[in-house]
Amino acid sequence: MTEPSPLLAARGAGRRFGQTTALEPVELEVWDGDALALVGPNGAGKSTLLALLAGALEPSAGRIERRKGVRVGWAPQRPAQYGHLSARENLELFARLEGEADPHAAAERLLDAFELPGEAAPSANLSVGNRQRLNLAIALLGSPGVLLLDEPTAALDPEQRRRLWERVATLRAAGGAVVFATQNVDELERTATRVAALRDGRLVFAGPAGEYDRSRVETLSA
Amino acid sequence: MLRKDVLVLRRSPLLLGILLAYPLVIAVLVGLVAGYGSAKARVALVDEDNLPATVVLGGHTFHVDRTISEVSKNVKLVRLSADEAAQQLRDGRVVAVLTVPPGFISTLRGMVKSPQLRLDLSTGTISTRVEQQVQALVYSLNRQLQHAYIASNLRYVTLILHGGDGSFVGAPITVLGIENAQRLLAGMPETTRTRALLDFLHDARLALANTGDALRSTAHPIELVRGPARGRTWVLSANVQAYALGLTITFLALMLAAGSLAAERDENVIGRLARGLIGLGHLVWAKIALAAAVALVLGLAIALAFGVIIEVGGVTGGEPWRRLPLLVVGLVLAGGSLGALGALLGALAREARAASLVALLVVMPIVFLGLIPAEIVPPAGWVSNALPFAHSVRFFRSALYDLSPWGEVAWQALWLLVLGAIFGGLARLGARRLLV
Repeated sequence: MTEPSPLLAARGAGRRFGQTTALEPVELEVWDGDALALVGPNGAGKSTLLALLAGALEPSAGRIERRKGVRVGWAPQRPAQYGHLSARENLELFARLEGEADPHAAAERLLDAFELPGEAAPSANLSVGNRQRLNLAIALLGSPGVLLLDEPTAALDPEQRRRLWERVATLRAAGGAVVFATQNVDELERTATRVAALRDGRLVFAGPAGEYDRSRVETLSA
Repeated sequence: MLRKDVLVLRRSPLLLGILLAYPLVIAVLVGLVAGYGSAKARVALVDEDNLPATVVLGGHTFHVDRTISEVSKNVKLVRLSADEAAQQLRDGRVVAVLTVPPGFISTLRGMVKSPQLRLDLSTGTISTRVEQQVQALVYSLNRQLQHAYIASNLRYVTLILHGGDGSFVGAPITVLGIENAQRLLAGMPETTRTRALLDFLHDARLALANTGDALRSTAHPIELVRGPARGRTWVLSANVQAYALGLTITFLALMLAAGSLAAERDENVIGRLARGLIGLGHLVWAKIALAAAVALVLGLAIALAFGVIIEVGGVTGGEPWRRLPLLVVGLVLAGGSLGALGALLGALAREARAASLVALLVVMPIVFLGLIPAEIVPPAGWVSNALPFAHSVRFFRSALYDLSPWGEVAWQALWLLVLGAIFGGLARLGARRLLV
């Protein structure tokens, strides 16, 4: 009988940009059903850790492990899409790249789900909120088992926030997991099952959400 | 990714407009240059000597107007008064004034000293070319006169040999001639003196018998014989077309590949793609393919527009029609090779604006290096050989001009392939910088 492995894990994974250390080596595991919140001030290394977990960046040290067959969806903090393409064209392009069997149908489904405009207007002309919806919709292509969301609700209205967390809950209920960076205490308390706190590129706390004491962590890491 | 890039290109009206207008502008300019290359410069002829309809020189009769039209094939001579010619030279309606000064014909008839023609040139950039054309005109005239002068001199030689009636500087003369002198001496009693005179006359007769060839070779110590043409079209037209194509696709392919690769980072998409959706090598390849596709479409547009301009303008040679299939191969290879270099610049610059600026700044030195003859500045030739522009131009020139271009075209195609592979490989390595 094989030992269970995490959906996603950082094994001493760290990242340097030239002489600057963005993230000291980190040990972190993401398990089925997890809702792991990454917290910390600006520049703490949350986005770098998410990019490493997503495979968008290669670690300078250590490695990232992914359970076989698990797909990862990633929504970076700044929307990642082609401004000259419409929302539909962006979705169809990334659906094709993600290996969706029917890219057109997948694009239609997500356009409806996120209430995105279907016309041919370039996505660069969309509102900030709609661009973020498109960013999240692209992350959901390819039926990911793990969602990596970098401050996903920053530009969303309350209704869209609610729908997003509903989707996350559905994913977790199906055995998936979510890792999200947030500055929102309310989201942290409502959604997170575990918390990883970062400060100045170092992991200063990792544990159940109930054990996370923000003021104590800040004192420890100061 | 290539489809996406083409779609993005279509969505950029300004860029698309430039891409469409640029080849047309280049084609028109090239057409004008090609037209200028074969056009006859308008030159004023000021006749201050009242040239007669015919001139007899050394027994040859020259019809002045016919002779002028025969020797002035490269310029259009128009007869004007001195004042009109000066005015038109100032206005730029004629590019030069050729003046026949008073006493020209009488000096010419005298055959003692050379008469002079005066040439006044405009200060424009083509004055050097016009001076060369007028020099060619005078050279042609001199050749015709030389034939007359030699014939005239040979008549004197014949008179000296055989004796008879003739004229010298217009005055009638009767010459005994060497042969008659020999006969006279032969009838005289043989003495030491008559023997010496007969020996001299014998030697003189032998020497004068070869005077004709000697005079002709003196007139033309070196004769230039043009070899058979190796090309199928007029070489200037093929050259300007090759440079127009090379310059256009260098500009476009570098800018497009550099800008579009760096734009993947600007749009923050590079990280999404690099998660295993698409390899960096694939991404670089897509930009090279985009550059090759655009180079093909716009290069063909230029070649077609150029061909039409040549046909409409009646310019001799340079028609690209029969070599279009070969041009297609060259455009794809050159566009791809230049696209690989552009992708490398894009990877190094990392930002679309910076990449486009760098590409723009790099285009000019690349082109100038390609224009410097390697025989004159060898290091420029070495650097130029390491860049695709010069090989692109050589490919196009050979494809458009050479009667049998296959060897040269294959060699330049190999260069473009190798350079494309090297720059493409470097761009793939450099593309990792886009992830930072």
